[in-house]
Amino acid sequence: MEFFQMLVFPGLIFLSVYSFALEYFDRIVYARLQNRQGPPWYQPIADFFKLLGKEVIVPASVSKLWFKLLPVFAYAANLAAFLYIPLTSANSLYPFSGDLIVVLYLLTIPTLCFFLAGYISEGVYSGLGAVRALTQLFAYEVPLFMALLAPAILADSWSFAGISAYYSAHPIMMLVNIPAFIIAIIAAQGKLERTPFDAPEAETEIVAGAFTEYSGKLLALFRFTVDAELVVVASLLAAVFLPFYASNFIISFILYLLKTVFIVFILAVFKGLMARLRIEQIVAFCWKWLIGIGLLQIVLNVIIKGAF
Amino acid sequence: MNPLKKLIKWAQRKSPWIIHFNAGACNGCDIEVVDALTPRFDLERFGVLQKGSPRHADVLVCTGAVTMQTADRLKNIYDQMAEPKFVVAVGTCACSGGVFGDCYCVKGGIDAVIPVSAYIPGCAARPEAIIDGVVKLLSTLEDKKLQPKNPIVINSEKELADMLDEAEAAEENTETENFEENKAKEDNENA
Repeated sequence: MEFFQMLVFPGLIFLSVYSFALEYFDRIVYARLQNRQGPPWYQPIADFFKLLGKEVIVPASVSKLWFKLLPVFAYAANLAAFLYIPLTSANSLYPFSGDLIVVLYLLTIPTLCFFLAGYISEGVYSGLGAVRALTQLFAYEVPLFMALLAPAILADSWSFAGISAYYSAHPIMMLVNIPAFIIAIIAAQGKLERTPFDAPEAETEIVAGAFTEYSGKLLALFRFTVDAELVVVASLLAAVFLPFYASNFIISFILYLLKTVFIVFILAVFKGLMARLRIEQIVAFCWKWLIGIGLLQIVLNVIIKGAF
Repeated sequence: MNPLKKLIKWAQRKSPWIIHFNAGACNGCDIEVVDALTPRFDLERFGVLQKGSPRHADVLVCTGAVTMQTADRLKNIYDQMAEPKFVVAVGTCACSGGVFGDCYCVKGGIDAVIPVSAYIPGCAARPEAIIDGVVKLLSTLEDKKLQPKNPIVINSEKELADMLDEAEAAEENTETENFEENKAKEDNENA
């Protein structure tokens, strides 16, 4: 039964199907914002299977083993993080105290894999993309952690189950976390390397960033990882900021879909309306504004926790 | 043929990613290629995305006659692309060398250096013709062989002329409609 759950719901197959669906939703919202019709519904699936059928080229001077292993690591870390996030009930598949922290650290691994993939590719463009990906990691990681841990401080628990229990008992306290939610949305945009934080793969300057030398199946797996990351981050934000679940599985599942689609819609609108920032602008913006507001949020939450 | 292979063949027709290369064009065709990628024509409807890296792309869209300078680079880019790959020659110069064909520094059309799957003549080729060429190239790919037997030529001038007439007629219609609508609105407001 556990194996079935890991494989089907909420595991590999659900994550794959839902990441294709959310990529389509993301692209269609982006297209509508540009007054276009957008791609047909099967486009993410067609892109994935086309890349599967293409030749894999490994540059001659690159370590073959690592070149091929890194996409697998990146995807595996995403899947592992997904298994610890509660979707349809307050408990995830394997709940324990501190699972929020584990998920946050597991989510760092794909970014490190992108960096390593660009670094070992030995191309100029992939090297530049890799360095930018790592620089950006230092910019968005701290505000993202602050924003996601502030609600946990108020709930006095490092686990998703504890957060859900607290906010179900005191729903009005959700409103305290609105600044943290805004920071988390902006930092998630950086985490997912989407406009305005897409300097690591800026296609008009550095070709395709860290993925420049990747082709065929390996590129398909990397794209799949990026899509899966969108699902995982949306689920994470939903689990921390909107931790309400129904007792019925079907209603709870629909609620989960609504929450994640809402978050992806905000992310897609951001992507459609913004222009790209330069890498040093990203760092300055994250450290000047996001961390400042994040600190205020944490202080506010500590005071409120002491007062009530 | 097993289902996975069938699925991949289907996907190859539905998701052509293009890379654009200027082999020595006067920039007229380049502007038309860029025009074809704008929201007005919305090539993403057919799954077309523009990619920067030759490793990611399926279709190499070339413009201009091949000069001595770019011949090696063109060959290089073509070699960097992953199989299966196609080449589309956009514009008269890319098809045959055009008016630059006899220049001392020109090697000829794109097919003087690399094999070409579709020819789209025109000076400059219209975005409609470019889209038509790419879609026709994809629709003629049979299940068994991915390279089309004979190169596709979007050359029937009558066909192109008809297409342009239709497009222009449609454009005029929408313009007049909009005009009438606006006028009706203004009248209402005045009243």
